Amino acid sequence: MVSFRELRQSPNFRFVMLTLPGALFLLIFLVLPLISILVFSFWRTESYQLIADWNIENYKTILGQKTYLTFMWRSLVMAVSVSLVCLIYAYPVAYLVAKRGGRYRLILVLLTAAPFFTGIILRVTAMQQILGPIGLLNMALQAFGFEPIQILMYSNVASAIGLVYLWIPFMVLAIYLSLLNFNFELLEVAYVNGAKPWRAFLEITWPLNWIGTAIGIVLVFIPTFAAFVTPRFLGGVNGALYGNILEHQFGATGTWALGSAMGVVLFFICLIFIMIIWRTINLQRSGYTGEEF
Amino acid sequence: MTEPALKLEQVEKTFDKVRAVDKVSLEVKTGEFFSLLGPSGSGKTTLLRIIAGLETPGNGTVHIGGRDVTRLPPYARGIGMVFQDFLLFPHKIVAENITFPLKMQRLPENKQKEQLNWILSLVRMEGYEDRYPHQLSGGQKQRVALARGLISRPDILLLDEPLANLDLELRKEMEVEMRRFQAELDIPFIYVTHNQEEALTLSSRMAVMHNGRFEQVGAKLDLYNNPKTRFVAAFLGSPNYIRGHIKRMEGSIAILDWRGLDLRIPAPANATAGDKIDYFLKHERILIQSLRESEPAKGENRFEGTLRDIIFKGQHSAYFVVLENGEELVVNAATEMPSLKIRHAVEVGWLPEAGDAFLKEED
Repeated sequence: MVSFRELRQSPNFRFVMLTLPGALFLLIFLVLPLISILVFSFWRTESYQLIADWNIENYKTILGQKTYLTFMWRSLVMAVSVSLVCLIYAYPVAYLVAKRGGRYRLILVLLTAAPFFTGIILRVTAMQQILGPIGLLNMALQAFGFEPIQILMYSNVASAIGLVYLWIPFMVLAIYLSLLNFNFELLEVAYVNGAKPWRAFLEITWPLNWIGTAIGIVLVFIPTFAAFVTPRFLGGVNGALYGNILEHQFGATGTWALGSAMGVVLFFICLIFIMIIWRTINLQRSGYTGEEF
Repeated sequence: MTEPALKLEQVEKTFDKVRAVDKVSLEVKTGEFFSLLGPSGSGKTTLLRIIAGLETPGNGTVHIGGRDVTRLPPYARGIGMVFQDFLLFPHKIVAENITFPLKMQRLPENKQKEQLNWILSLVRMEGYEDRYPHQLSGGQKQRVALARGLISRPDILLLDEPLANLDLELRKEMEVEMRRFQAELDIPFIYVTHNQEEALTLSSRMAVMHNGRFEQVGAKLDLYNNPKTRFVAAFLGSPNYIRGHIKRMEGSIAILDWRGLDLRIPAPANATAGDKIDYFLKHERILIQSLRESEPAKGENRFEGTLRDIIFKGQHSAYFVVLENGEELVVNAATEMPSLKIRHAVEVGWLPEAGDAFLKEED
């Protein structure tokens, strides 16, 4: 018989005790809901009731009907463009703060996250006050006798601007944290060896910070792909994305089973995207200097 | 007449009102191994970075190979550089690290390969092409860094304390290797170091830098044997430091009162009786023997003292002698001296010219 004292000394027991709280949390709040969604996605709904009648009709609908594919495509385009814009905008910001921020750099980076101090609805509403028909921008233009910019009002462009604004702190933070560990002296080495600044960036800075950048891209891509609040507030009548249709299934139409299936599809698209990004990461080529794999 | 490989004219650099480099002029010829020696903060690294184009001088001009490069960025200067912590690109294999300068020049791949094989055999790193830097030892990293600096046959190679992070044995080995590379390629090396042994071993000419200025420039033996300034005399060879004041003058010889002992020294220019003097005497210039083993030469300083300790250093040893006035002298001499015993009386002696005397600077 093993005494409790002996059990406490065992490494396996310690491992279990240390990982238990986290594992339990993930099990209850992530794995179980995912499983239930997966299960529901193979059921059907009738008059707002889930019926355990196993079938794959939901998936046939999503992957077979043009409407759903269109919304999926729109969300994909939106996620790719928003990620790209965030990347192009965030890289110089993160670079400047990491290189020149000095002792203020932590504060500067935290400031990019300042919008997080308020809720998402409030922030999107604030964007509406700027971009909308009676928003700051167009009112100002009209006051000076110009035509209002139609494309900024209730359109996919407006949604994109809102989404960039929402998720850019993630991108800045991810790139910034990567650059913190980057040895900027390597750039001087590149210059001395004949590399022009742009070439040095492509040869040295970009590959050595690719992991951080990739994390930033994933962190922006996924919430953008699943977005529904921002397009509802800023996108207007024709601005609905996949997320809006998905949300619709759980609200107005009450087709939970179809909604669940849409959720599963969304989950797998994100998973595929993460795997594509993961394939681009070669630890050696990212300057990883630890043990060999 | 050929242009000097490197020409600096009145180069100045100020950081926050501190003169890091103060009106430095210098010419280095093709094929020279030139060292910039100085303590940390003397401005030697800043000067090297100005030559590289990593800093812009506030004033003055830099010519490399006869071309004014003062306003050119580093990538347009045609130089090679080796850094203190090697700074290899961690995500590139050895071959890619070394051919990086050629890739930047857009040299065709087959030419790159040719050059790579040549330099790999020069630095004796064949077979390591596919390794990543973290799979190399310190000495190997250094060889790769040197290969990267040399592969494009630059007009000059700048080296910023390249041996500082290596252990002693490797340092000795790399010193020999660097002299070999330099001699084979005939590229001028500008070598920055705070280690006088390195500078004295490696270079043909050197400059001693202090507070942003050149204290003295010249052949290394000349600097070692005939220091022109107090700083150079005190720095090179870490000599015995003797303080006193002049009792009287005897022509070109001054008699120094060294805490009660009369010492004959070469009189510094403009010295008169009563002047305070700093006299620097290198350890190896002092004769040490048992009492009355030989007669003093004419004009020689000869004192009796007690041998306090002997520190064995291999081929030579350091003998610590306490004189009658309580001052201690360090003497470097051969290790095999059976007549000398610790706590026994000994005799030390040297000619006035063996040391370098300077008027004491007012602080």
